[in-house]
Amino acid sequence: MSRSDTSGTGMISCDHCLQETSGESSIIVEINGEHKVFCCKGCLGVYELIHNNSLDAFYYQRCGWQPGPPATEVKLQASSFSDTVTISGNEYHIELLLSGIRCASCVWLIEKFLIKIDGVVSIRVNYATHKAAIVWIGEKVSLDTILHAIRSIGYLPHPCHGNATADLFAQEKQDLLLRFGTAGFFSMQLMLFTAALYAGFFEGIEERYRLAFQLISWALATPVLFYSGFPFLSSAFRSLRRMTLNMDVLVALGSMSAYFYSIAMIFYGGEIFFDTASMIITFILLGRFLEAGSRLKAGNAIAELAELQPHEALLISENGETAMVPIASVKIGDLIEIIPGDRIPLDGTVVEGDAEVNEAMLTGESNPVLKESGSNVFAGSFSMNGRLRIRVTGNAGNTLLAQIIRTVEEAQARKAPIQGIADKTAGYFVPATIVLALATYLYWKITSASTVTALMNAVSVLVIACPCALGLATPLAILIGTTSAGKRGILVKGGDIFENVSKTTSVVLDKTGTITTGKPSITDLHDYGLTPSFMQHLASLEAASEHPTGCTIVAAWKGELLKTEQFRTIPGRGVSGVIEGTHWRSGSKAFMEENGIKIDSEQSAFIASLETEGKTVVMVACGFKLAGVIGMIDDLRPDALPLIAGLRKKGFAMTILTGDNRGVATYIAAKCGITDVQAGLGPLEKSAVIRAMKAKGECVMMVGDGINDAPALTEADIGVTLGHASGIALESASVAILNDDLRLINTLIKSSSRCFSIIRQNLVWAFSYNFIALPLAMSGVLHPIISALLMVVSSLVVVSNSLRLKKI
Amino acid sequence: MISTFYLIGIGLFVGFSAWLLFIWAVKSGQFDDPEAPKYRMLDDDDEPAKTVKPAKKKSP
Repeated sequence: MSRSDTSGTGMISCDHCLQETSGESSIIVEINGEHKVFCCKGCLGVYELIHNNSLDAFYYQRCGWQPGPPATEVKLQASSFSDTVTISGNEYHIELLLSGIRCASCVWLIEKFLIKIDGVVSIRVNYATHKAAIVWIGEKVSLDTILHAIRSIGYLPHPCHGNATADLFAQEKQDLLLRFGTAGFFSMQLMLFTAALYAGFFEGIEERYRLAFQLISWALATPVLFYSGFPFLSSAFRSLRRMTLNMDVLVALGSMSAYFYSIAMIFYGGEIFFDTASMIITFILLGRFLEAGSRLKAGNAIAELAELQPHEALLISENGETAMVPIASVKIGDLIEIIPGDRIPLDGTVVEGDAEVNEAMLTGESNPVLKESGSNVFAGSFSMNGRLRIRVTGNAGNTLLAQIIRTVEEAQARKAPIQGIADKTAGYFVPATIVLALATYLYWKITSASTVTALMNAVSVLVIACPCALGLATPLAILIGTTSAGKRGILVKGGDIFENVSKTTSVVLDKTGTITTGKPSITDLHDYGLTPSFMQHLASLEAASEHPTGCTIVAAWKGELLKTEQFRTIPGRGVSGVIEGTHWRSGSKAFMEENGIKIDSEQSAFIASLETEGKTVVMVACGFKLAGVIGMIDDLRPDALPLIAGLRKKGFAMTILTGDNRGVATYIAAKCGITDVQAGLGPLEKSAVIRAMKAKGECVMMVGDGINDAPALTEADIGVTLGHASGIALESASVAILNDDLRLINTLIKSSSRCFSIIRQNLVWAFSYNFIALPLAMSGVLHPIISALLMVVSSLVVVSNSLRLKKI
Repeated sequence: MISTFYLIGIGLFVGFSAWLLFIWAVKSGQFDDPEAPKYRMLDDDDEPAKTVKPAKKKSP
């Protein structure tokens, strides 16, 4: 391995950061009788600190660490963190974003190191988000000390600005949980007394118990109505003022009239319906709470994209000094520096230095891209190695990343109209019910001249018309349908999506990583016969390379490997090394030409023909002669064909959208028999294509896995992603196939149409229940207690019908 | 029959306490993150337990 490989090159890797260092510039120190090598003073400092705190386990535990030096020399300003500190008593809280976290052991190291500081109460580092939550005693230790402690072990703290949308949703969800929980606890207590009163109504009850139970019921129902039911009351009030009646008016009116009627009945000696009043609130709050959960997830998708955006940049002033400044104060044309392992804060052009940059979140390209003087870099991508100086071309809020975030936000906001349809129906349903209740009251008041009878019948109408079963009909079926789909590895993110799946008319497929494997495989191998063991030499050369192309070649060779000396990687070009005394090179055409290797016209034509088929071409040279050419392509997944066959049987129109070049796309499309292919599309263009399809009235399902698919996944009516997909794709998609089996998409469509037919049955039941029960209530046949019971029965029918979805 | 009222009182008290416990749990963030706890138990504590435990107890 590279750590011990010191053969002849004088290169040795640093014991802290694992980066290669040459013999002269490295620092060698004896620690505990062992010689340790460091590339710089920074690494030595960090190593000593970790060693002195007996946290050496870090070095044995870490795996998956990407070599790179620590960021110990950057200036920190505690003042820029102070506004994110919250104080409760003598405990201070802060949330920080840490850069430089490279592996899970970093989390362990930071937690163990900081907890040793006197005054630090607790520290939690989230590996996925790179966020640290720290609590400390303000009198014992200052924020400055903590920040410098983090920096001293090689991690850079940044102020963490919460995402307003996600915070708001989280707050709303917690608020609803409190209200629903309260309603639940009080309703449960209330039910005990109501059961006793019900029994008393039929069997007879002593008057003092009756009164006591009624008074207790009153006390228990009051918080449910006025605390838990507050959102309905205020929404109903607002809608009344705007003269547009929504569902909340009926909820408020039904529960309130039952409540006030019950209070009156305590004094008139009639039956009470506090249970009806509070159960209405409880059931409908449950629905709201489940809905809030799905909206919180949507908010998180934006938060995750926004988290890619650093909030500070290292600005280089005219006299050459660097300072950490907020990105808002960086202007177009300013120079900023990017240290290795950090995210690029703003779009810009490289003016100095070169580095391999991971742009996976913008382009979907998983291989790092070489950036050198003159190349453009984008905010949110990160430099894997090497230091860059860039001239800013897009300021804060104007970067490609900001544009993608805005697109995702807009697409999510436009989903609201579906909810509007329900409210529109309620717009006719609500006033009609109120009119009916009033008419009932007046009719009975005039004919029987008894206020109690008239009021009871009117409440009966309101109670029976209350959209309880109607409210449950859709969400419950979807909830059960989605959970049973979840058990099969299909994660549906709630709500209307599951219902929408059954309305799909066309399916859009992403290519790379979705219907193809995402890993190249060798399709063409041309050996020019320079050596008898061409593949063995090539595999031996590539064995030390970490590039995906190299891994494919090594995987294809099953035999023995030869020893490679003087191995070198030329970023963006290829690799070279000496095997059995001969110099071997493998890489791109440009790499060959730069090293004076001749390519004749026949070979050129062959390479060109491979390239037109969209294949990646790797050329191999032995000495100064071309030894062979290899063509690779990212091929179809085995489960893609069953999926496409299933979709075709259902008669869906299918389209392939890809950011890849036309050659590959056509090859893949022809292989799976799809004629509609659009190649070379960026993330925003993909979503534009889907928007155009939607404008034509199609219901679009998008299947994709890359971050570049995120806007398209959100734009589509149904966004389906795979379990191996990037985090953002997972968050923006409405459906995730967790075990990566594409055939499950067919299962999803089947179970969704079943769910939709159950919803239809539920709705038919709930509506016909209302149509039959309403006239009965108006005619005075139904006592309000019977009405309430009927309402529960109606809900039960809906519940048990929905439960049938458990068996898919 | 006065015992019925005692029982009602006890019933209400228990229900009310459960409600207060629920309010405390929501306010102190027990329901905030249903994801992380299942991963945390996989963390190794190579350190003497003394340095870690007090911190975990105090954390909100």
